[in-house]
Amino acid sequence: MKRNTALWILWIGLTLMGAGTVFAKLYIGGDRSVLLPGQTAGAHHQLEIACETCHTSKPFASQAKLRKDINKTCETCHKDELKAADDSHPKKKFTNPRMASYWEKVDGRFCTTCHSEHQPEVTLPMMLTLQGDYCVACHSEGEQDIRKDRESHADLTFDTCASSGCHNYHDNRALYEDFLVKHGQDPWLADHAVIPVAALPAPPRAGSADEIAAYLAAVDAPANSLDDQIAQDWAASAHAAADVTCSGCHAPEEDIAWTDHPDQGVCSDCHKPQAKSFSGGRHGMRGHAKISKPRDAKKQLKALGWKDAPEGLITALETYLGDPVPPAAMTTDEARVELRDDAHGQGMECTACHKPHREEPDFAAIGACLTCHDDDHSRAYEGSPHHDLWLAEQAGDGPAGSGVTCATCHMPQEEKKGFALTNHNQNDTLRPNEKMIRPVCMSCHGLGFAIDALADPALIANNFSGQPSRHIESIDWALKRVETPEKGANQ
Amino acid sequence: MMKKLTKIKAAMLCGAMAMGGTAAKAEMEYQQVSDLLHLVMSSDRTVYTRMIVNRLAVKEGVIKASEHFEDDKALVLPAQMFRFGAEMVAEETDAFSYSLLSLWPINKQNAPSTDLEKEGLEYIADNPGENFYGEEELGGVTYFTAFYPDVAVAEACTQCHNEHKDSPKTDFEGGDVMGGVVIRIPMDG
Repeated sequence: MKRNTALWILWIGLTLMGAGTVFAKLYIGGDRSVLLPGQTAGAHHQLEIACETCHTSKPFASQAKLRKDINKTCETCHKDELKAADDSHPKKKFTNPRMASYWEKVDGRFCTTCHSEHQPEVTLPMMLTLQGDYCVACHSEGEQDIRKDRESHADLTFDTCASSGCHNYHDNRALYEDFLVKHGQDPWLADHAVIPVAALPAPPRAGSADEIAAYLAAVDAPANSLDDQIAQDWAASAHAAADVTCSGCHAPEEDIAWTDHPDQGVCSDCHKPQAKSFSGGRHGMRGHAKISKPRDAKKQLKALGWKDAPEGLITALETYLGDPVPPAAMTTDEARVELRDDAHGQGMECTACHKPHREEPDFAAIGACLTCHDDDHSRAYEGSPHHDLWLAEQAGDGPAGSGVTCATCHMPQEEKKGFALTNHNQNDTLRPNEKMIRPVCMSCHGLGFAIDALADPALIANNFSGQPSRHIESIDWALKRVETPEKGANQ
Repeated sequence: MMKKLTKIKAAMLCGAMAMGGTAAKAEMEYQQVSDLLHLVMSSDRTVYTRMIVNRLAVKEGVIKASEHFEDDKALVLPAQMFRFGAEMVAEETDAFSYSLLSLWPINKQNAPSTDLEKEGLEYIADNPGENFYGEEELGGVTYFTAFYPDVAVAEACTQCHNEHKDSPKTDFEGGDVMGGVVIRIPMDG
């Protein structure tokens, strides 16, 4: 055999082997992270080894089908969020054929028009992959020309629409014109500055030594597992008052042996709303019900048209090309925010913030956050006016609900059946931060102050220790327009 | 006005109208289908406007009707009730779509956005009592498009439009054509 022929055979063989490996990883099984076309945005990196969470189309689907399918998966996780936002640009606004001329400008029927994944080099805050002045596409001509509709907007540039605390593409619940007018004269701080839901009565607990002793006398834990401090802590908890016994978590079913370290499934069995909201945020999204499971080699081969693949081949594929299983919870090692050096390796299970036997509201609402987070805003919390209010309330010097913790703003509560229910999606009032205005800020502050404060990066960094140095004019303009209406202006 | 009317299989649109196996096979003209759809829309809308909004918000004054009905704990405006229905239909089918448009919209999103919309809305405003039918191509699809006058059927209609700060026309009277219901049906092909 001539040397060139041998080299050709070797080249072809290696090419086929390489192509086969890539093909198998793409369409059958195996770790595909090496094939990522680019880093994902936001917290989506937690899903990177579960490609089918977003990429649900069958192999070789058409471009149109791919686009339709991938956009459908955005709503899998974000649908409730968009609904709650009373979305200003919902998909349904753009599907009507009369909007066809807009499809060529910014196609509002698809999330991926503005949020394209795996493109870190062009991804802006809010996971935006269009240029920041994208509003110009639809609001600069004809009936929609905002510069003609609003005298106040005549000289504004389109890169300021969504970057100045005035407008958001999706969520304008606290920014729409009539709301600005309605709350335009509110004082910066209410006379009775209290978070109403935080002032609700707490569930009953055993308080006296006799009540605790009576509870412990009837407890059903194995004698050798009952640490005295744990028992005392538990007896004084709301869990104990609600008749949750030791076995309720450590041996939740009759045929399951006692375990000293229950997994967090026992928490979510009872705390379903909290578990659901936790899985919607960055801390808990690994637990979202819709994250794809590892691929099944047999099903993958069947989808490719090989219905009766030999069992031996399937076993071999699963042995050597099995998909990695996503960890049940993220750890702080995977976080892409500033964390303390000693926080690494921390798992984000329920017990990271909630001690299993002892109730510590101060730790769950503040301490746990500051154990990990090390950005300016977090470091400035202790000593801030909000923290002072919390200390005063704890000391009995402030009314119930007057303290402001990390959780007050980032995990706000709502009333349910007379008690406070905590939203465990720590991102729900962020992205953009104006989402925080109505459910949180306006419990104590006026709308104008809240808009100005949240648009002031320096004030956010020092955890609101002072007054805003910026003023957003949207309320002024809205009030002026009510006093002297511009006839024919758009709503 | 479109003279030659093409046919559409009734079964595609009129499942609710089908009466037994034979009706499902019948064919109806686009215009007839559109007229029937409009009859349902118009009747429901008029009932809501007269018997709910006008009675409770204008005559008896026991509750407000507000564009921000959730914040104000108020009744949904008739135009919003109509739009929410159209959006719900759009989530279920693309066999037809409908909108409430006007030459004098409070919300400029509801101003005419295609040449045919402008022509149709002007025709029904200039010819009270008449409808307008046409064809247009949007996004690569040809549509049968019908325009029906939307008439001020109650005091609530004229009062709200005449007093709203964003209304370009403030002298509506009862019985005036205030805009039009536009129904689109994609044609075969």
